[in-house]
Amino acid sequence: MRAWRPVLAALALSVALAGCGSEDSPADATEASGPWSFTDGSGEVVKADKTPTRIIAHSGEAAALMSFGIKPVGIFADESVKTDPNLKNLDLTGIEILGEEWGKIDVEKAAALRPDLIVGDWWPVEKAHSGLEEGVDEKSKKLAELAPVVGATQGKSIVQLAEGYEDLAESLGAKVDDPQIAANKKRFEEAVARFKEATAAKPGLTVGAMSPSDDKVYFANPVYAPELLDLQSFGLKVINPASPDPSFPYWENLSWENADKYQPDLILWDGRSFTATANADWGKKQPTWFKIKAAKAGAVVAWPAFWLHTYGDFATELDKLTEAVKAADPNIGD
Amino acid sequence: MTSSTKTARRASALGPGLAALCALLALVAFLSVTQGSRSIGLSEVLHALGSLDNDGSINSTVTLELRVPRTLLGILVGAALGVAGAILQGVTRNPLADAGIMGINSGAAAFVVFAITVLGVRGVGVYVWFAFVGAIGATVLVYAIASLGREGATPVKLALAGVAVTAGLGSVTSGIVMTNVDALNELRFWQVGSLAGRYTPILVGVAPFLLVALAASLVFGRALNGLALGEDVARGLGQRVRLTRVAAFGVVAVLAGAATAACGPIVFVGLVVPHMARFICGPDYRWILPYSMLLAPIVLLLADVLGRLVSGPDELQVGVVLGVLGAPTFIGLVRYARLSEV
Repeated sequence: MRAWRPVLAALALSVALAGCGSEDSPADATEASGPWSFTDGSGEVVKADKTPTRIIAHSGEAAALMSFGIKPVGIFADESVKTDPNLKNLDLTGIEILGEEWGKIDVEKAAALRPDLIVGDWWPVEKAHSGLEEGVDEKSKKLAELAPVVGATQGKSIVQLAEGYEDLAESLGAKVDDPQIAANKKRFEEAVARFKEATAAKPGLTVGAMSPSDDKVYFANPVYAPELLDLQSFGLKVINPASPDPSFPYWENLSWENADKYQPDLILWDGRSFTATANADWGKKQPTWFKIKAAKAGAVVAWPAFWLHTYGDFATELDKLTEAVKAADPNIGD
Repeated sequence: MTSSTKTARRASALGPGLAALCALLALVAFLSVTQGSRSIGLSEVLHALGSLDNDGSINSTVTLELRVPRTLLGILVGAALGVAGAILQGVTRNPLADAGIMGINSGAAAFVVFAITVLGVRGVGVYVWFAFVGAIGATVLVYAIASLGREGATPVKLALAGVAVTAGLGSVTSGIVMTNVDALNELRFWQVGSLAGRYTPILVGVAPFLLVALAASLVFGRALNGLALGEDVARGLGQRVRLTRVAAFGVVAVLAGAATAACGPIVFVGLVVPHMARFICGPDYRWILPYSMLLAPIVLLLADVLGRLVSGPDELQVGVVLGVLGAPTFIGLVRYARLSEV
């Protein structure tokens, strides 16, 4: 079986090459020209003779580029592209799916796409791009040998991340000022304005970002959650936990006995585990969940505890939060 | 002093010893209800316990709805794991036998993963039953494999079959978990043994099975004493060796299966406690079984209380605490108690 692999790869490559002639360049909103350069999230300036057009991107980054009219030729995701929150509502026809599990990228398939750019977030903590972090299959990491890798930097702000991809899209030739393309950014700016207005109207409102689990309650630490840092910068009082877990400071872990340690007026519920019935379910299941007054009052709303990458997605989530802030009673937690 | 007077003296002291252990268990249970990651005044705990009425305050809720069920579950699960370990070590004549080696943990985990990935089951309250079925299924499978061949289920074949089934199921489970984020997240809660978050429905669900099996386990004392002398001697004494083995395995499957289903794999209790009991009681299983039944929940609850106190407002899972404390204890026992003489 193993001996056949190079043969299969060669076959795949030739099929792809044959297909290329008739295919329009997927990034048809742009014109390939050059020279091209982009300052990567790591600070390094990446240069090319010609503007890249055949792009392979990580899922959220792909969504960001697509929001500016740049369609990648291949996407690798950390989970099924059907459930990946970054890819929902996106038309993926004509895009090769190169991986649907974290750390596993089909590099042979990727090579057949003849990419001239790989796009993945830059992780300052790991000093690596998405898809090439520690723990990723060594085989998958060979992706980096196919083309230069660039991305916006992860860390302190989702807004900065979205801006980073706007810059990248612009460098790749996207007409970011085109009204149709800029609509999402406008929607985002309006959503931010409404959000700021709503929080300013309730200066006493405090919120806690939480995620209940079977054996304990997790209380998120905004310092490590850029989307929460953004919300704080927009005026929302997201509580910073007093004693985050030393080994994984993204959370403070509260035993169920201490579930009521913080009494926010509104609970931001980890969007990855939030459902319409989650609050009632946990109230039934864990005797102390409703000792959090906001939980008992049903003052809960999902917060996107995953990496948003586009102005549009951010605007949609912000609008939901704005409604929750408007509806919240700033005195529940007192 | 002749050895028979030694035995007699020992036996005469063992009865009161059991009573003392009962008292110690009561004391540890009291600790488990009064101490926790939340500090609650003694008077408040006593008030809640005395009235048995939840006045709606968080302290009363924590005492009556978290700590009391947790403590009762700890007692039942501890007793079950201790006795199951003692019976397994006796019936297989293997001093290292425990529920983990007999495939019980891996069977339970495999079925939990099956329930999550194939049937879409969520929440420990539901998959506790899948864990139970998986644990019993794995035990039956191990016994069936070991029974193949002319000599039937000998101790060595049992251990080998157990290790093989554990390895097989374990690799299937981790294979699925690695590729399925949902299964990984659900299983993570269950993969480290813990008493935390095991709410009343789980206690009520597994208690009948555990109580019946615990009562049944005490009749095995004499039969295990016979087996300890070797199969041929046991047969010579008129024992029906195969029947004993099958019955003992059935009881162990229910005990360890229900305990593992409720709390996840809690290691070391089933392994170490029977040796502690043997250290105190000598080789007589009629004493080892009840001593294991009392010593194990004492050890388990103490470890659980310790885990609650060391890292507030968080808690350490009892499985982790036992792992840390269990290893040196076990090495100590091996060195001082001449472990091989089961």
